[in-house]
Amino acid sequence: MSVHLVNHHHGQPDSLVHRLPAALKLSVALVIIVATVLTPIQWLAWFVGVAGLLVLTMLLSRLPLFFVFRRLLVLSPFVLGVVLVNAFQPAGRDKWLAVAIKSVLCLLTVILVSNTTPFSQILRVLKSIRVPALLITTIALMHRYLFVLMDEAERMRRARASRTFTRGRRFHWRALATVVGQLFIRASERAERIYDAMCARGWK
Amino acid sequence: MHIPDGFIDGKTAVVTAVISAVGVGFALRQVRRELPPRRVPLLGLAAAFLFAAQMVNFPVAGGTSGHLVGGTLVAALLGPSAAVVVVTTVLIVQCFLFQDGGVMALGADVFNMAILNSVIGYMIYRMVCHWLTGIRGRVTAIAFAAWCATVLAAICCAGQLAWSGTIPWSVAFPAMATVHMFIGVGEGLISALVFLAVYRARPDLITETTLTDQPQRLGELVRYGLLVTLGVAVFVAPFACSWPDGLDSVADKFGFSHKMAPLLPAPAPNYQVPGIHWAVGATAMAGAAGSLIVFVLALLMGRWLVPKPKDL
Amino acid sequence: MNTAIEITNLKYSYHDGTEALRGVSFRVAPGECVALLGPNGSGKSTLLLHLNGILPEKLSGDGTVKILGEPVTPKNLETIRRQVGLVFQDPDDQLFCPTVQEDVAFGPQQLGLGDAEGAARGQKALVQVGLAGFGRRATHHLSHGEKRRVCLAGVLACEPAILVLDEPTSDLDPRGRREFKALLRQIPATKLIATHDLELVVELCSRAIVLDRGSVVADGPMFELLNDEKLMLEHGLERPHILRHQHPH
Repeated sequence: MSVHLVNHHHGQPDSLVHRLPAALKLSVALVIIVATVLTPIQWLAWFVGVAGLLVLTMLLSRLPLFFVFRRLLVLSPFVLGVVLVNAFQPAGRDKWLAVAIKSVLCLLTVILVSNTTPFSQILRVLKSIRVPALLITTIALMHRYLFVLMDEAERMRRARASRTFTRGRRFHWRALATVVGQLFIRASERAERIYDAMCARGWK
Repeated sequence: MHIPDGFIDGKTAVVTAVISAVGVGFALRQVRRELPPRRVPLLGLAAAFLFAAQMVNFPVAGGTSGHLVGGTLVAALLGPSAAVVVVTTVLIVQCFLFQDGGVMALGADVFNMAILNSVIGYMIYRMVCHWLTGIRGRVTAIAFAAWCATVLAAICCAGQLAWSGTIPWSVAFPAMATVHMFIGVGEGLISALVFLAVYRARPDLITETTLTDQPQRLGELVRYGLLVTLGVAVFVAPFACSWPDGLDSVADKFGFSHKMAPLLPAPAPNYQVPGIHWAVGATAMAGAAGSLIVFVLALLMGRWLVPKPKDL
Repeated sequence: MNTAIEITNLKYSYHDGTEALRGVSFRVAPGECVALLGPNGSGKSTLLLHLNGILPEKLSGDGTVKILGEPVTPKNLETIRRQVGLVFQDPDDQLFCPTVQEDVAFGPQQLGLGDAEGAARGQKALVQVGLAGFGRRATHHLSHGEKRRVCLAGVLACEPAILVLDEPTSDLDPRGRREFKALLRQIPATKLIATHDLELVVELCSRAIVLDRGSVVADGPMFELLNDEKLMLEHGLERPHILRHQHPH
């Protein structure tokens, strides 16, 4: 199981950036992202400026550079695709350069914000901008039980693998599907117990 | 299929955001109305489930692996509106926590994967269940519906990319559609297998009500249908109208479609990538043939997975 | 009032018809600490869920449950849940808020206290369980022992008269178990504890009730019951070693 994809960096305790209010970070990030996407690539000054700001923030945040770089690499297949497609076009170079630069800057912005802001604070900001309560609760519960379910999935998968002696792919698929099915069942049962626990403490 | 920021432009982002906001708002209202309070935590847990399930890799030939996206599966288990809410939640968490998919692109991602995928998947699922009854029918239905939903979502994504001028339609459509015709097979297979596993162990957990009732469900689906049609009309129709003309020049195609959709800004000039202009038509035909083949495969799979039904 | 909990002829069956409780009756006096013992599947958890009205789903009338003299009805659930604090078996089921401080404040806030008062009560409860600085911690990052203590704090924040615990020390390492037992000892509320941890029973409880296959098979002073080797073995338990060298208190 590719757990490395899930690697949310929470080792770093503190930095100036971590301590900034979440609402500020999110609004600045949004402005940067929107402006970057809308700005034509010809206005290089903007992109250079943003890049500078982001690099400075990254250094201040004390996030491991290698970690940030690895998260940025996720973009590479997409960018490569666009480069290849547009490489043969007359105005192609502007196009793929724009896409590459914009996507990297925007992703870097999100990486910095999400790794210096606890998720519960992000949720609080969403609540304050009137995102519907049902959606907020659902997001909160998903975040809370994400790791619990992933652990369960991993344990079940390992237990399955320990009892899989055939190399047949057909059986393997069915076994994995059973694991996933079990995961849904366990998730549903847990959801009911959570409801009971909420009622037990007075939820209406 | 998560679109990174920078791959779609401002107008596409705004239009998709508006359509998606309407769709999700509607889904939330439906869920609040239908779902008994006891099941509210299930939405969050189903989202966590979907994410955890996506981490389970199903090995495919040659070292690659497929994994479940799950919109259609959740729709079959919990209903279309719940599926919209659940997948939207997954996308939001993936975006903000794991930086998977852009912030401005959220509107597009939600439209493609949460709304289109779940709703179309659900509609097709119900339609097929109507003709083929019993659990065998359901298995076939969900496999076929999941495949269709995957392919259609990919086509819409291609349309958004083309509308933004990032990748021309003549490349995006064949590429996205054909790749997802293959990915969709995995999705259909996994959805069916998982649905069956849940049905066998705990059929009571499938809260999606019986397939008999519901004029309300019809009303709900009509409203989603309108929204989806709007989205498809905006992102796909301008391009789709062009390919039946075969080898006409690209400029003509856009002149033609421009007349058909005068209210829409003209998409970015479409490039003539060497040798690829026939790919669009070929892809469309492959899609049509593919859906027939997949339906037959789904039927066969239903037979194989579910032994002769005793009753039902 | 001379009874905190009074259960009379309680019956309950699952959806598929299996009988979980077959006419259970017992009483718990205020301030008592009673252990609920029994093999797995005996119905302990099901019984505990009746004490704050979570079960039965439809209050039918198969037996009665009275808390502090009041029968549990759909109308007075709020009052009952104020008085009965239930600590669930799996702390992950109970710890559903993103941060510790939100979770411990949840109960008081649901019971109608304001945000500030709720937070204050929550903080007080955290201090009580020895997790004073843990407010800002994310709930999914806690160790198992910490989760169990936060769950206890979340329930204590509601200041219930009766504390009901379902397997509170399972999955805890020896130190965790010692710490949790020390915490429980300091809480003056009436306690009913379903557990397999016989050492906990010996150290904290004055009385024990043995449940097997949905019926009460023994109810009496802890020391007497636990020393009855035949009884213990017959109902999937055993006589704890600790008693072989102990004198009754």
